[in-house]
Amino acid sequence: MGKRWVVLVAALVVVTAACGNATDGNGEAKGSSSGAGGPTGTASAADLQKKVPSTEVGVTDDAIRIGGVASKTNALGAPYDQAALGAQAFFDMVNSQGGIYGRKLELVANRDDQMVNNQAEVQGLISQDKVFAIAPVMSLLFTGADTAATEGIPTFGWNINQQWTGPPNLFGEKGSALCIDCAHPVQPWLSQKNGFKKIALLTYAVDQSKICAKGVTESFKKWPTAEIAYEDTSIPFGATDLSVTVQKMKDAGVDLVVTCMDTNGVTTLAKEMKRQGVNAPQYLQNGYDYDLLSKFGDLFEGSFVLTGFTPMEVSQPPKGLQDYFTWIDKTPGAKRGELSLAGWLSAALLYRGLVGAGPEFTRDKVVNAINQITDWDADGIITGVDWTRAHTSEGGDYCFAITKIEGSKFVPQYGEPGKPFLCLSPTDPNLNPNPTPQA
Amino acid sequence: MTDLLTYLIRGIPIGCVFALMAVGIVLTYKTSGVLNLAFGAQAYVSAAVFYVLRSDDYLGWPMLPSFLVAVALVAPALGWVLDRGLYRHLRTAPPVAKLVTSLGLLVAIPSVVKLLLGSGAKLRPPGLASESVRSLGQITVDDNQLVTVLVTLLVVVALTVLFRSTALGLQMRAVVESPRMTELAGVNADRIGTFSWMLSSFLAGLAGVLLAPLFAQVSEVNFFVLLVAALAAAAFGRLSSIPLTLAGGLALGMLNQLLAGYLPTDNVLATGLRPSLPFVALFLLLLFWPGLRQPRHAADPLAGVDPPPPSPVSAIRTHSLTVATRIFAVAVVAVFTVVAMTGLDDFWLGIFIKGVIFGLIFLSFTVLTGLGGQISLCQAAFAATGAFATGQLVSRAGMSVLVAMVVGAAVAAAIGAVVALPALRLGGIYLALATLAFAVMFENVLKPQEWVSGGTRPPKVPRPLIAGISFTSDRAFLLLCMVLLAVVAVIVVLVKRGTTGRFLDALRGSETAAQSLGISPARTKVIAFALSAAIAGFGGGLLASFEGRVSYDANFSYVLGLVWVVLVVTMGARSVQAAITAGISLFLFPRILELVPFLSQTAAQSIAFVLFGLGALTYAKHPEGIVEFQTRRSVQRIVDLLARGSNRGDAQPAATDAPAPVLATSGGPDT
Repeated sequence: MGKRWVVLVAALVVVTAACGNATDGNGEAKGSSSGAGGPTGTASAADLQKKVPSTEVGVTDDAIRIGGVASKTNALGAPYDQAALGAQAFFDMVNSQGGIYGRKLELVANRDDQMVNNQAEVQGLISQDKVFAIAPVMSLLFTGADTAATEGIPTFGWNINQQWTGPPNLFGEKGSALCIDCAHPVQPWLSQKNGFKKIALLTYAVDQSKICAKGVTESFKKWPTAEIAYEDTSIPFGATDLSVTVQKMKDAGVDLVVTCMDTNGVTTLAKEMKRQGVNAPQYLQNGYDYDLLSKFGDLFEGSFVLTGFTPMEVSQPPKGLQDYFTWIDKTPGAKRGELSLAGWLSAALLYRGLVGAGPEFTRDKVVNAINQITDWDADGIITGVDWTRAHTSEGGDYCFAITKIEGSKFVPQYGEPGKPFLCLSPTDPNLNPNPTPQA
Repeated sequence: MTDLLTYLIRGIPIGCVFALMAVGIVLTYKTSGVLNLAFGAQAYVSAAVFYVLRSDDYLGWPMLPSFLVAVALVAPALGWVLDRGLYRHLRTAPPVAKLVTSLGLLVAIPSVVKLLLGSGAKLRPPGLASESVRSLGQITVDDNQLVTVLVTLLVVVALTVLFRSTALGLQMRAVVESPRMTELAGVNADRIGTFSWMLSSFLAGLAGVLLAPLFAQVSEVNFFVLLVAALAAAAFGRLSSIPLTLAGGLALGMLNQLLAGYLPTDNVLATGLRPSLPFVALFLLLLFWPGLRQPRHAADPLAGVDPPPPSPVSAIRTHSLTVATRIFAVAVVAVFTVVAMTGLDDFWLGIFIKGVIFGLIFLSFTVLTGLGGQISLCQAAFAATGAFATGQLVSRAGMSVLVAMVVGAAVAAAIGAVVALPALRLGGIYLALATLAFAVMFENVLKPQEWVSGGTRPPKVPRPLIAGISFTSDRAFLLLCMVLLAVVAVIVVLVKRGTTGRFLDALRGSETAAQSLGISPARTKVIAFALSAAIAGFGGGLLASFEGRVSYDANFSYVLGLVWVVLVVTMGARSVQAAITAGISLFLFPRILELVPFLSQTAAQSIAFVLFGLGALTYAKHPEGIVEFQTRRSVQRIVDLLARGSNRGDAQPAATDAPAPVLATSGGPDT
C-alpha cells in the first residue's frame, strides 16, 4: 500500500508540475466594453417604428425576447416574482404603443433560481431561452453575474449584491456600484436634522452585516453629528432574544437605532424595545416594504425608512411613477411596491438602451448606449444615474428620500412637492441638503 | 451583582425556548430511539397550520379552535402517520439508520407543507397570548414569554412524572430497548410506539405554535436553527433526563445573556463565541460530559431474529457477468461523453459538470460512511475548506489552480483529521452531532473571516491549464472532471480493497476483535476522516474552478450538507457508482421533472426535494441503498436467466439472498 501512495503522490507531482491557470478573460465581456464599438445616438420617433432585419440572438421578426430570473422560492417567503410582473407591466405599456422597431418586447422566461441555482438559470436564459437581454434579475445570490458578464449580454436587475459592480453590461436598477462600507452622509444628516445625539449600532456577527456596520461607523467619524453610544456587532444571526442588548441601549440613553439586520432582527429588536419601553426610532435601510408595514407597522411607529426612489406616497408623483401606477394596476397578480418597481426600472432602462441603440440595435450597442447616459432618472422615479461611472463608483452627491412610519403608513419627509429627493455632497462638512426636483 | 442577577433572569425565557425544543428531542429519543432532527420540521407543520387557521389573511379562526386543530389534531395525526408509515418498521434498526430517516423527513416535510399551504411569507405569527408587557422589577416580559416559560415547566413536570411514576412511561422506554421482549411481557408494543410518536409530535406542535412568534415569520429554517442550538441542552440531559435537559436549556440561555452582557461586543472573541455558543457547548459536552463519552447502546436481546442483510452484488455476480458489466459501464460512459461533447448545450453541460463534481465530492461518503461506518454531517464544510483554500492560494500566492486544489485537499484532510478526534471516543449519533456542531461552527465562525473566505466577494478561481491544454471551455472541463472523478474513484476502490479498507471493515464488524488483531482504531479512523475530507476538499476546489468563484451559500451551507447525506445514503453509501449517481441526480433529476408538462419550475424543484427526502425512507427497507438494491435485483435476474438458459448441471447455482461474511464481501470488487 505504501508504494501505491508513493506512486500516486509522484504522479500528482508530475501532473501538477505541468499545470497553470487558463486565462480566458473570465469576467471580461465577449462584446465590446464600455466606450468601445460604434457611437450610439438616440432614435427619433420615426426611427422607433423602423424595422430592420436582425440576426441578433433573441431578436425575431416580430419580437425581442427577454428573460428574467428571481429567487421565487426563498427562505424569506418574499414575493420576488413581483419583479417580473413589474417588467411585464412596462413591456405592456411599450407594446400598447406599438412596441419598438416594429417588434414587441416579450418576456419569454422568468426562471426560479431557488437561491442556489442562479448561475445555471442565467446560463439557461442564454443558451436555452436564447434571450436578447436578461431582465429583471432579482436574486439573493447573483452567482450568475460572471456568466452574464462574460457573455456580454445586457443584464438588468435589483442591485443588492456586490456582483453587480464592475462589468459594463450589468445594470442595477439605481446604479451598479455598491459601497456598503463607505461613509454615507444620510445617517449623520438625519441625526443632525432631528437632534439625535446618541446612536445605537446593532449588527449580526456575519460578514455582510459587519461591512455595513463599518460604513455606519465611518459615516459618523466623517460627520460627527452624533456619537455611537452603544455598539453591538456580535449579535448571533437568528437571535430570538435581545433583552440584554436593549437593556444596554437603554442604559446608554440612545435616541436613534441604526441596524444592519434582516426582518427577523429588526422585528425582534422592535418587540424588545417595546417591552423595555425604549422609544428611540429605528433607521431602516431596507424597510420600504408594504407587507412589513401592514404586519409590523405598530412596532415601527416613528421609524425612518430610506429609499433611493420617489416614495409612492408623494403628493405629486412624477410621470414615471404615474405610468407605473397605471400599468402595474392593470397587470394581474402585480402589487405596488419596491420589488415590482425594481422590475419596472430594469425594463425601463433596457428600453432606454434600445432607444439609444437605434433600429440596427445589437447587444453591444444597447450596452454602449446606456453607458453614455449621464442622467438616467426613469421619468423622475429615481435621481439621475450617471452611467458613465455608475458601474464602479457611487460617486457624486448622495441623493435619497426619507419616509417616516406614522399610523402604519409611509409618510414622505423633508422633500418638497415635486422635489422628493435630498442630495448631500460627500465633501460638505456641514451637510447642507439640496432638494432635488424630479424630472 | 445586580447586573449579574438581571442577566441570569433574562436568560430564563430564552432558556425555556431552548429547553422546550430540547425536551422534545429527548422525549422522541427516549420513546423511539430516534434522534429526530425533523422535530423542527414537525413544529413547522403545526405553526404553519395554526397561522393559516388563525391569521386574518387566511381563515381568521378564533384562537382556541385554531390551537386545537393545529396542536391537538394535526400534530398527533402526523405522529401517527410517521409511526405507522415509517418508524414502526425501523424499531429495531440502528440509531444511525433512524437519524438518516429523520434527515429525509427534515428535507421533505417543509416542501410538502409549502406545496399544500403555499410558500408565501407568513408574517407576524400570532401567539397564544397577547403581547401585553408585565414588569417584574427591572425585568419586563410579555404574556407570550410567560406562557412559554409556564408551558415548558409544565411539560417537564408532566413528562418526568410520566417516565418515573407510571407504567405507561416504563412501557414506552421498554419498547425502545426491545419491542419483542416487551410484547413477551404482554404489552402491545405497536400501540405503545404509536402513542409515543403521537405524544412527541404533539409536543413538536406545541413548540411550533408557542415559538413561532419569536420570529418575524413562520419558516422551517428558524425552527431548524433553534433545534440545532437546543441540541446542546439535550446533550446536557444525556438524551435521557428531562429535568437535566431543562437545566441545560436554562444554563444555555443564561450563558447566552452573560456573554451578551459582559463580553465587549465588538471584539473577535465576542463575534466568534456568541453566535457559536450552543455549538461549542455541544462539541464540548460530547467530548467531556460523562454519560455521553461512552454511550450505552441499548441492544435488543432478540435482535438476532431479524433476517440477515442481503448479499452484496459482488457476491452473486459471476466473473463473466462482472466483465460484461464493466464493458457495459465503459460503453455507457463513452456514449455519454460523445453526447456531451456534441449534443448538449451550455446549460445541460453545466448541469452534468456539477453532477460529476458532486459525484466526486460524494465519494467522500463512500470512504467515511460506506467503509468506515461513520456518519458525518460536515462534509460540506470540508468541501468548502478545499474551495476556499484553492481560491486563496490562487489569488494570494499565484499558485496554479490544480496545485491549489491538491493543497486545498490537504488542508481539508488536516481539518478532517482534527475533527476525527472526537470520533475516537464517539460513534453513531454522537459523532453525527459532533460533526453537525462543527459544520455550524464553520459557518458561523470560520467562514465569515476574510482570511478564510476572501470576503463577501471571493476572489476569482480560474480554470486549469495542464501541459499547455486549456480547460476554459465547458466541454474540455467536463472531460477533465470525468478523468478526475475516475482517478478518485479508483483511489477509493484501491483503499477499499487495501489495508485501510480491510481495517475499516474489521472495525465496523467488531472494534474489540479488530483491536485484538493489532488494528489501531484511532489511527484507522483518523485516516478515513482525513481521506474523506481530502476528497470533499478536492471536489470543492474543482467546483470553485468551474463556477469561477467560491459560492459558499449556493453550494456548501450546512443545511445543504444534510441533503447530501440523505441523497448519498439513500443511493448507497458503500458503492462508488451510487455516489456518482447521487451527484448527477442532485442536479439532473429536478431538471427532468421540469420537463413534465403543466408542472412549473418552482413546483418541479419542490417535488424533487420532497422525493429526495422521501427517498431516505427507503433506507429502512434497503439500507444498502437504492442503487445497490436495484443493481442486485437486476444482476439476480440475469443470473437466474443465465442459469435457466444454460440448463446445464455445471452452471453456477443462482445465488440467494443468503448473507455473506462481512469481512469477505466488503473487501471485494466494487459494484
